[in-house]
Amino acid sequence: MSSYKEIALRESCFRPGSTLCPGCMESIALQNIGRVTDNGAKTVFTIGTSCAEVSSLAFPNVVAWGRGDATPDDFSRSFSIIHNVFESAPTLAEAVRDVSDVLTDFGALERPVQVVSTSGDGGAVAIGLRGLLHTIHRRARVTLIVLVNEIFANTGFQYSPAAMPFAETSTTPVSKEHPGNPSLPLDYIHLCIAAGAGLVAQVSPAHSKLFLKTIERALECKETAIVFVPAPCISGWKFDDGETVRIALLGAQSGAFPAFWWQKGKGGTVLDCSRDEAERPPIEDFLGAQRRFHHLVQREPGTERFIARPDRADAVAKLKTWVQGNVERLYRLAELK
Amino acid sequence: MSVSEVKAGPLPHVTTPSGERYEGAIDLSRVREAHPSLYDHRDEITADGNTAAAIATLQMWRCVIFAGFPITPSTKWIEYVAANLASVPGGRRRVKLMEAEHAVADYMVGAAASCRDLIFPTATSSVGLDHMTETTRSLGASGLGNVMIIDVYRATANFPLCIEGDPSDTLAHRDDGFIQICARGKQQIYDTVLQAPCLGMHPEIMTPTMPGYYGIKDSHRNARLIVEADRDIHEFQDRWIFACPLPGLINGDTAFGSCVTSRHFQGFKVAQKRRLDNVLDFLPLIGSDFEKQFGRPGLRFFDEAGWSEDGAADIAVVGMGPDFGTFESLRERYAKQSGLKVAGIAIRLLTPFPRDAVRERLRRAKTVLVVNQAHHTGRGHLTLDVVDALSDLKAPPRVVSVFAGLGGADVAEVTWERMLDHARESVEGKALPPYAFFHEGVAL
Repeated sequence: MSSYKEIALRESCFRPGSTLCPGCMESIALQNIGRVTDNGAKTVFTIGTSCAEVSSLAFPNVVAWGRGDATPDDFSRSFSIIHNVFESAPTLAEAVRDVSDVLTDFGALERPVQVVSTSGDGGAVAIGLRGLLHTIHRRARVTLIVLVNEIFANTGFQYSPAAMPFAETSTTPVSKEHPGNPSLPLDYIHLCIAAGAGLVAQVSPAHSKLFLKTIERALECKETAIVFVPAPCISGWKFDDGETVRIALLGAQSGAFPAFWWQKGKGGTVLDCSRDEAERPPIEDFLGAQRRFHHLVQREPGTERFIARPDRADAVAKLKTWVQGNVERLYRLAELK
Repeated sequence: MSVSEVKAGPLPHVTTPSGERYEGAIDLSRVREAHPSLYDHRDEITADGNTAAAIATLQMWRCVIFAGFPITPSTKWIEYVAANLASVPGGRRRVKLMEAEHAVADYMVGAAASCRDLIFPTATSSVGLDHMTETTRSLGASGLGNVMIIDVYRATANFPLCIEGDPSDTLAHRDDGFIQICARGKQQIYDTVLQAPCLGMHPEIMTPTMPGYYGIKDSHRNARLIVEADRDIHEFQDRWIFACPLPGLINGDTAFGSCVTSRHFQGFKVAQKRRLDNVLDFLPLIGSDFEKQFGRPGLRFFDEAGWSEDGAADIAVVGMGPDFGTFESLRERYAKQSGLKVAGIAIRLLTPFPRDAVRERLRRAKTVLVVNQAHHTGRGHLTLDVVDALSDLKAPPRVVSVFAGLGGADVAEVTWERMLDHARESVEGKALPPYAFFHEGVAL
């Protein structure tokens, strides 16, 4: 394994020039993934339609991808990227992997490539769930990154199956009768384990060392590795500039999306998130930091803590039940081998 | 992957309009040398159309991954390929079974972009092709001429469900951007599949191909087939398939499928259309070279029947597919009985439509009878193209449009005779409705 410092000093293939919102967690994640993949192997990225795609590949205005200002003479530092349709990034990655492997089998390729796919949660677990699970099911030796902002952010912040209960999205608006998203999120972590993934993780760059270590392990996995990256969305979650990492950390610690790490045959672990609700930061603090949940909580006069609004106490109680179930679920999944 | 697996170091690279290409990153001579030959010499076998298509793809050294949806409706192409590959000890070529037709198309994008000098074939039909639509439309614009979707023509999904062959699927996909070539008969299927990549991968074309043939009538019925030696096929294809001048994902420093601003979108689409138009220049050359090497007709814009040297005809039939053979078999008799000059063409190149060649062939006909075998909201897919082709003429022939053989029904001799009688009324000056339906010798 590479050291944190060593990776931090590498050249990322995700460079300045994107039009992602300032403070976007996707940008932070891609910059870090770009550094980890600068490991001496040529990288091919497949990218699904998402903020990360339309905001980074808009030729000729912004093309944020590439390694170095000039084409490297060293083939292993060259870089390729492909976007097809919304949902196809995992399938494309599998195809690149297969061609690389077949050419290697024939002795026609001496320098096999590493393959990374990125999708948003809309592309991966809504429209693209079928493709995602089947790529995992076929044990394709690729690394799948899913940037989870719990909405279709690129198209206007609509609901996705990863959305938290009671979140306000543009298609689950809040009114007196409607307290936001009425659905529970899809258990995509469990689905990926069940489909046969070799490594399943949920971690954001807010846990910086863990994030880099996870991506590095994922690249070395002999089967499909999938990393869900909680990605607070400054525009869709509606929070203040400079809060991205704090909210990501708070979301993980409070149980909304705990850091989770699992390997086939070895089991896993939940990190930095206690099973005991009393030992976690209150979920109200996480909710209060984003206007998508402001219909649920308000500041308590005098203490400035976030508490449930009196008319939404039932919804907050249900949300807390879901959060506890979410934490319990991950602890139980960690016991699987 | 482990970094220890990687061989580092510089490679020479060249600059292209699509990024940098590393020379020598992939050594395809290793793939060519390892090709397991299916036929060492010309042979004569009995095969159905799906088998003919499968044999052709297996004989190409550039085909190393065969992706497909396991049930590929109306085609057992993938089953034949799988059985063959399983029988080769130590074989390194692979069958890739995907969960859906859409996934097959997506897979083809990734594979073909990875190495632009290999050929990635699949076969599908009807709803399978429809299911691929989102990605076939990306592929059509992709420049990936090394993708070949073999389409077994079958009624596309509609009410009522019909599982027999008519070309409504391929005709519904004429704007996908593929080069669409219709084959009739097992030999033409085999020969067309062998030539299609030469066309699609030509540096002036770089457009994916969709050779196709009628379901059931050609896909499932057996006939004599001459197969060529693998080495001769390789010699032919290597004369036409050059190393792609643009980088792939593996041998390049490049990007595919990027978002572009509207200004660049215009240029991209103009280039796409011009590459497709170049098919009209190169198809005859490839077809002629094929005929020279193998002694059989190669790719053509259309097959011809009954034309006199001066090109004059009272009735000129325009059709496609195996039912045109029924017309050919009765043409002479009908002409003799009616006292009319009767000729015809069976369209082979559907997209891009060979407008100029069709116009020149039909310009001296009095009446053109266009036989459409697929549902269309207007006068018929072929009719619209033929009318457009003739529109440049000062005194164009009258165009009589008919529908027959819908849902894969045979167009029987009596139906052909009745349709010709219908066209004859036009020759005699009678005004006819915009279109008419015929079946079993009756106007419906």
